[in-house]
Amino acid sequence: MITIRLVDGSKKWSIPRDRGRIRELLNNIGLLSEEYIIIRNSKVVTPEDEAVDGDEIILYPVVSGG
Amino acid sequence: MVKCSFCEREAVYINRVNGKAYCRKHFLEYFDRKVRRTIRKYKMFGRKEHIIVAVSGGKDSLSLLHYLVKLSKRVPGWKITALLIDEGIRGYRDITIKDFLRVAEELGVDYKIAGFKEYIGYSLDEIVLMGKKRGLPYLPCSYCGVFRRYLLNKVARELGGTVLATAHNLDDVIQTYVMNIINNSWDKIIRLAPVSGPIDHPKFVKRVKPFYEILEKETTLYSIINGLYPKFVECPYAPFNIRWSIRRMINELEEKYPGTKYSLLRSLLSIIDLLKNNPKLNIGEIKTCRICGEPSAHEICRACIYRIELGIIELPDELREIAEKLRIRIPEKP
Ligand SMILES: [Zn+2]
Ligand SMILES: [Zn+2]
Repeated sequence: MITIRLVDGSKKWSIPRDRGRIRELLNNIGLLSEEYIIIRNSKVVTPEDEAVDGDEIILYPVVSGG
Repeated sequence: MVKCSFCEREAVYINRVNGKAYCRKHFLEYFDRKVRRTIRKYKMFGRKEHIIVAVSGGKDSLSLLHYLVKLSKRVPGWKITALLIDEGIRGYRDITIKDFLRVAEELGVDYKIAGFKEYIGYSLDEIVLMGKKRGLPYLPCSYCGVFRRYLLNKVARELGGTVLATAHNLDDVIQTYVMNIINNSWDKIIRLAPVSGPIDHPKFVKRVKPFYEILEKETTLYSIINGLYPKFVECPYAPFNIRWSIRRMINELEEKYPGTKYSLLRSLLSIIDLLKNNPKLNIGEIKTCRICGEPSAHEICRACIYRIELGIIELPDELREIAEKLRIRIPEKP
């Protein structure tokens, strides 16, 4: 299981997969990696990094006013 | 794990246009080079400047303030002052002001908070109610945008600022560009230049956008790395408009075709160059508002028009004819 949530806690997803490239995991739930900075287990990673079973991913939205 | 293209560390960012990956340290170097190149390329600052940084409390403007304060340590002739406009929006501004004060104090930078209440006489919350009561057809964002721009220029000048820096990034600029193409507003497109404004008016403070070529994704990462990413609070007046769809559309294009955003920016710069001296586009000379003395497109500025219509100030009798020509909704005298 991989969990993904928005930093403000407004949305959360549990993805029943063992591993996957983060860009694809986001695309599968209708999100664009272009619109988030990705934190995996408290560290900034790129969309091309992988997530594995047990990872927690937090998304910081890029879009919002100046 | 994705590795940095320049060292052995883990990458935090991939630039999909040049295919390079950056660790934290190399990302910050890349960011710094990119902003400095933008500043140089468009001649935004001279050796001696009092830079007023317009800060909203959002991640981009906090990043700009943080960046320029650090950069100013290497430029002896620069002085920085942060300027925050407090519109008076309950449940929003009172919260975001705290993020601003925390960052300003950490940086040890001079700052000024200029309130609508103090300068216009009423908070935005009050103005919105007054407008409704009088049946004025404006959205909250119209009052807010006009009074904000007005105060940024006026207060920046009063503080002795030589240049006003705003945090508009590449994404903001190209979204507005596409919106203005759709609206057929070519005069507004000219104002999307990296250095803008009617520079030949003595009361106008030159405006620059140091993040003009920086992606929103990059300013966001900069804010996270430097502990500036604020708690997200949405403005209660934030409209759901076409900008959201345009943003999504551009981001989808960028995801499929990396480099789309830079292409749009190049397109914008070309069109500004083509339009700049085009006589068909009647930009008109910059005037001085007959009421408040601030720079204005017409003989009465937009901020004074709103103040008259809201009943905050009275229209001087000698300006009645001009006011009628400008189709100002003049309130009837009691
Ligand atoms: Zn590196
Ligand atoms: Zn005026």
